[in-house]
Amino acid sequence: CEDKLDIVNPNQPTVEVFWKTADDAQKGVNAIYSTLHRGAISRWLPFYYIIRSDEGRSQSPATDIVNNMDQFLITDYNYGAAYDIYRDNYVGIFRANQVIANVPAIQMDETRKQQLIGEAKVLRGLFYFHLATLWGNVPLMLEPSTTADRPTTTPQAQVWAQIEKDLTEAAAALPVQYTNPDDLGRVTKGAAYALLAKAYLQQRKYNEALTPLQWLVTGEGSSIYSLMPNYRDNFLITTENNAESVFEWQFQRNPTENHDDDTDPRADNLNYGTSIAQFFAPPGIGWSDGEAQRWVVHQFLKEPTVTGQRDPRLAATFLYDSTDVRGPQFTQIYGQTFTQRYGTNNQNRVWFRKFLNDHWKNEEGYNSPNNWRYIRYADVLLMYAEALNATGNTTQAYTYVDQVRQRAGLAPLSETQPNLPQDQFLARLKTERLLELAGEGHRWNDLARWGDLGPELAQRDPAFSTFTKGKNELLPIPQQETDINPNLSQNPNY
Amino acid sequence: ALWPMLAFALFFSSNLYAQTSVTGTVSGTNGEGLPGVTVLLKGSTNGTTTDVGGNYTLSVPAGQENGTLTFSFIGYTSQEVPLNNRTTVNVTLAEDTKALQEVVVIGYQTVRKQDLTGAVSVINPAAANRVATNSVAESLQGLAPGVTVRNSGAPGQMARIEVRGAASFANTDPLYVIDGMIADANTTINNNDIESIQVLKDASAAAIYGARAANGVVIITTKQGKEGPAKVSLSARYGVQYIPKRYDVMNSSDFAAMQRTQYENSGQTPPASVGSAFNPNINTDWQDEVMRTGNVQDYNLSLSGGSKTGTYLISASYFTNKGVLIGNSFDRGTLRVNTRSTKGRITFGENLVLSNSNTRDIPGTNTTEINPFYNAPQMLPIIPVRDPSYVNATNPTGWGFGRVDAVTYVSNPVAIVDLNPRKFNYAKLVGNAFVDVKIADWLTYRFNTGAEVSFDHYNEIRKLGVWEFNAAPRNSSVDEDRSRYLNLLLENTLNFNKTFGVHSINGVVGVTQQHITRENTSGGRSDLQLYNNQYLTTIGSASGTSVAGGGRPIDYRLFGYLGRIIYSYNDKYLLTLTGRIDQDSRFSEKNRTGFFPSVAAGWRISKENFFNVGWVSDLKLNASYGQLGIVTLNSWDYTAFINNSPRAIFGPNQTPFVGSTQAQVINENLKWEERTVRNIGIDAGFLNNSLVVSLEAYNSLSKDNLLQLSVPGYLGNLRGDPFANAGSIRNKGIEFSATYRNSNRPLKWDVSGNFTTIRNEVESVGFQGEGINYIQSGNTRTQVGRSLGEWYLLQTDGLFQTQEEVNNYVNSAGVRIQPNAKPGDVRYIDQNGDGTINSDDRTFRGSPWPKLQTGAQFNASYKQFSLNLQLVGVFGYKIYNDVRRSLDSYQQTNFRSDINPWSPTNTDTSDPRIALNTEQGIIDNNRGESDRWLENGSYVRMRNVELGYNVPPTFLSRAGIQNARVFISGQNLFTITKYSGLDPDVVGNPDPNNAQVRILQRGVDLGNWPASRVFSLGVQCDF
Repeated sequence: CEDKLDIVNPNQPTVEVFWKTADDAQKGVNAIYSTLHRGAISRWLPFYYIIRSDEGRSQSPATDIVNNMDQFLITDYNYGAAYDIYRDNYVGIFRANQVIANVPAIQMDETRKQQLIGEAKVLRGLFYFHLATLWGNVPLMLEPSTTADRPTTTPQAQVWAQIEKDLTEAAAALPVQYTNPDDLGRVTKGAAYALLAKAYLQQRKYNEALTPLQWLVTGEGSSIYSLMPNYRDNFLITTENNAESVFEWQFQRNPTENHDDDTDPRADNLNYGTSIAQFFAPPGIGWSDGEAQRWVVHQFLKEPTVTGQRDPRLAATFLYDSTDVRGPQFTQIYGQTFTQRYGTNNQNRVWFRKFLNDHWKNEEGYNSPNNWRYIRYADVLLMYAEALNATGNTTQAYTYVDQVRQRAGLAPLSETQPNLPQDQFLARLKTERLLELAGEGHRWNDLARWGDLGPELAQRDPAFSTFTKGKNELLPIPQQETDINPNLSQNPNY
Repeated sequence: ALWPMLAFALFFSSNLYAQTSVTGTVSGTNGEGLPGVTVLLKGSTNGTTTDVGGNYTLSVPAGQENGTLTFSFIGYTSQEVPLNNRTTVNVTLAEDTKALQEVVVIGYQTVRKQDLTGAVSVINPAAANRVATNSVAESLQGLAPGVTVRNSGAPGQMARIEVRGAASFANTDPLYVIDGMIADANTTINNNDIESIQVLKDASAAAIYGARAANGVVIITTKQGKEGPAKVSLSARYGVQYIPKRYDVMNSSDFAAMQRTQYENSGQTPPASVGSAFNPNINTDWQDEVMRTGNVQDYNLSLSGGSKTGTYLISASYFTNKGVLIGNSFDRGTLRVNTRSTKGRITFGENLVLSNSNTRDIPGTNTTEINPFYNAPQMLPIIPVRDPSYVNATNPTGWGFGRVDAVTYVSNPVAIVDLNPRKFNYAKLVGNAFVDVKIADWLTYRFNTGAEVSFDHYNEIRKLGVWEFNAAPRNSSVDEDRSRYLNLLLENTLNFNKTFGVHSINGVVGVTQQHITRENTSGGRSDLQLYNNQYLTTIGSASGTSVAGGGRPIDYRLFGYLGRIIYSYNDKYLLTLTGRIDQDSRFSEKNRTGFFPSVAAGWRISKENFFNVGWVSDLKLNASYGQLGIVTLNSWDYTAFINNSPRAIFGPNQTPFVGSTQAQVINENLKWEERTVRNIGIDAGFLNNSLVVSLEAYNSLSKDNLLQLSVPGYLGNLRGDPFANAGSIRNKGIEFSATYRNSNRPLKWDVSGNFTTIRNEVESVGFQGEGINYIQSGNTRTQVGRSLGEWYLLQTDGLFQTQEEVNNYVNSAGVRIQPNAKPGDVRYIDQNGDGTINSDDRTFRGSPWPKLQTGAQFNASYKQFSLNLQLVGVFGYKIYNDVRRSLDSYQQTNFRSDINPWSPTNTDTSDPRIALNTEQGIIDNNRGESDRWLENGSYVRMRNVELGYNVPPTFLSRAGIQNARVFISGQNLFTITKYSGLDPDVVGNPDPNNAQVRILQRGVDLGNWPASRVFSLGVQCDF
């Protein structure tokens, strides 16, 4: 009788029999990437970086979205979407930790082993980057999770230190490029350096940031990365993984998708696209739960191109009544003119366009295949400029701002505003970053790094009137976490 | 189908031969004439009934003057009297004392009811069958104390049934045993096949089922053939059903006017759809569009009979229910073959039922997004069901769902029925076969083997189209899932029964094993092909991407070693010892084995010499104590696995690559939930048992209840919180039932009633966090010292009437509590006095647990007529009406017809002001976590009224019919309640994926499928 009671699960291997082969290691790493298309990360995370910043807003009928994601009115420390972002980043960390803990013991090609561990470390760094910038002081989990784990809060600075360590180690182990086309989309040395630079920059460690940025801009990376001649190519499904892409999250449409949970046994129905397009698309097409502020549009209109045209980045960045410079009668909103679709409604609304699919279809869906160009080379150039300026090399910094402007058809800054002192150069750089990177998820961190988060932003984004300095820079640690684990402490002023 | 057969039978039966007459009087033991007694010439169809005085006259055909007359009457022992050429035959019938001799099936054994020492409810299937129901569980409502039944109402859906409260956070379903086979009594079982239903409620009664008995055991015994000539029975019922109540919501012009007011109150221009472009020709009554008159049809035909050495029963049935909602139906055909054969010391028997059932509905019926009872009242009347203006490539049939100027996020419920139908088919076999070997007079060995095999098929079609504003278009697709469920049972038992003078011992010992598996294969494909407006709906015909899946989600084994001894001393002192050792593969090796003992004693005081109270015919005390288990785990929850579902996208073609990872953290030390039950009871009979009462009190404590304890997010855990044996729940209650029979007069009647009280109290919820002694689930809080799922809400206190009131609403420090409020807004009580209203101000606002549950039945017969009444009453509980919450939020929804929003000129109202939720005051009015939506759920319902007529035998005999009965019935004719929703009999949150949510959110009305009113006509006859 007794042995009849030992029934083997025919559906899944136990943890004990796994982590034995190179293939296991490879699949373990794949699972970490899979985290990126989970709903909370591919949909809600951008809300927190875009809509919460001064470039975005929400008019959603779901008032919890408005309150929590736009207006700093946190209704509940366990608010579901915020909690899910927090948890899903740790899902990625749990997956990375399994690889980092188990792969070293696998007998396999050493280079490949180090590459796989490197990938895991870049991704772990990425997830901690999200946690460090949104929650700041979080528990640092570096081993596979068990129910007994009761870590203490790690101060933000130590979280950053771990991110730096992971990315530095990973950069050493990762290839500059993959030779096997099937590896397209995996993180490279360049991605590790770009994210490392972002991490340093965010801590205002400008000197440290220079090293990885130099590798990318003037070193080995310069032979790989370049700006795409056409700005809009960075947001089209037809020109993904292009020369400007340094770290790109891969999405694909699964026509049979009906769920977002990448651990659901119905794997063939898994959505490995992103639903952000459905949530950002204008009414009649999508939920329009997040949209842009009109003031950003005005920033684009301030400076024409050298040929006297409107900055082409405006139309690539937004859908609004004048995405077509001729106005609402000509502006196409998913196959209809603005006027046909809305008449006199929605005239002041502006929608972020970069994640949308209106360039190839007249509908949206939950399964957008449009990749998130998470770090573009243009961003790297502007980061480099910022670091150079901050370290006293403003003149040199002009070069890289100029490259970005010239691609958009604008006159070089070195011609229009030469010889700016350091602080004014930074002020100009802030605008350049806004114009180049609006709606891509960098704005919140930019404002945080520049120390610009505050109620004074309410002039252009009224939501900031409820912003409290020293508090709202970070989100509250979910109440459930501090309840279950009293070793954890809440963020300041919550 | 029935009527032609009857006519056929009538036409061909007649008897034209010479006759003599027999007359006589039938009287009871007290000498009074008994009316309505059936008098039948044995072996013929020739019969009559007695008149008011008990007199009868029966024609006896020539040649049968030496025949035998059979006198039968309900409640009396039948008699057979040889004619012996007499023309006058007077008979005295004795009352049947079966009530005391009645045997009860208690698992592996039958015992005389009088010997019972545990709590067992015996349900009269005749009463249960009077109500047209989908399932056995549903038919039990109100019939047995301690058994709580809440109806789902949907075709093919099981009712929610609980025995003596809820003893678990994960599973409250009782164990079903059908003819000795442990198998689910779901909607595939035909109620008409059932001979008896017993509910084992306490530890003594249920302990023989050990590890699985803690939620109670429902033992179902099906009908067997009886010795005698072949008997054909036929019954047919046809009923129409409809929902007696609807949400009274506005028509399009009233809606438009109200929405204009709403926008104007917010200083905004009303949308064109209710203003400049209002189209009076569109006035959709969405409830009308989705509701219809449904029907219930139930046909049964059985053939039975037998000899001294063998009996047989073959029964066939067809049940069909066209639901009151479009797109919902259920039908079931069954064939049962039950036989018994005896050869010497050996008896063989089998019970087998084949059933095939089909349920049709729409996916997501259980979610508020899709459920028409939830969304039809909210859907805007200005939106057409269909309109050419909605036609486009992804919505080719033009389903209406609103526009930029007519915004609602409610789904078009008619569109869903057309676009996303699904069906379930269950082809099922449940049966068992046994061999009894009579080793000695007092010792019988039984080998019993049973099987439940179910071939399940799920089919879902998604056509091209859209049913919700702003929603993403979907590809068309077909998905199918086929699975086989196999439940095999093997048992060897020894039954003994020996009497030594005044000592009597009986009992059973045995071993049992069970193996349960489910295997499934699923497939699907996108992009259905469309020809001539007809979709091809097979997987093979679709042209897009295919999906496949499959596995063995269930695979576990159980071994049980069981024993019971019942000792009786002179029928006066009774002792029952029961024990079972269970082993279960769903636990790790060290936690696999459990022991579940119980002891019970009874004392029949009425048998004592000192007891000499003439009007007390029976008086028995009993008490029991014991332990039971519940398994709430899936097959492999105790160990950690690698999940292969993740997919990474790589490569120039962006193809998915498999990822593998441990997704769920687990707790290896899982064990059985254990329920310790104490029970005391009194059974008494008065006035020669014309009044029988029973009173039971119990106190049961569940420990080690499995809880999915929340784990911190930093573990990155998925696939649900891991289980831990952490909870504890106590249930206490009193159950009372009484039956009074009056059968000595021409008007015979009986009345019975029962009531149940359940006090449910949580003793532990495990470690939920520092200082946290509760589980929050939706708007409920399950806190130590309180019941499961009590309402935890903000307390409202009327409306602000003036700005001054708003300004003066301050806490002790003078802080304005609701600074955003305006006159006409809801005032909330600042419970913690911190000067602001937030989640910290919630308090306990009521319980979803009824204080009292009652049931009553009344039966009367006079001559050929009979009447049955069934009443159900449930009192003292609170329902959260989420449908009204949605309606009365005023946002993107239709309005109740009778809303009377506050305005400066209309202050005498409880409805707050109407405006858009673009301001905090309105947002606050609509807080879901408020007692604004909590209502008293108490109700009394006339569950059934049935009027029957027994066709006189004189008429029937010529048709070759032994007896025939026709009836009409009305079900749920009225409900007395203050509840404003459609039906206060709610099952709560139906979340199909989370048992804990189902159990804890038991009192929320998320568009609960209401009970239908049913008018039925039926006939039963025996040939």
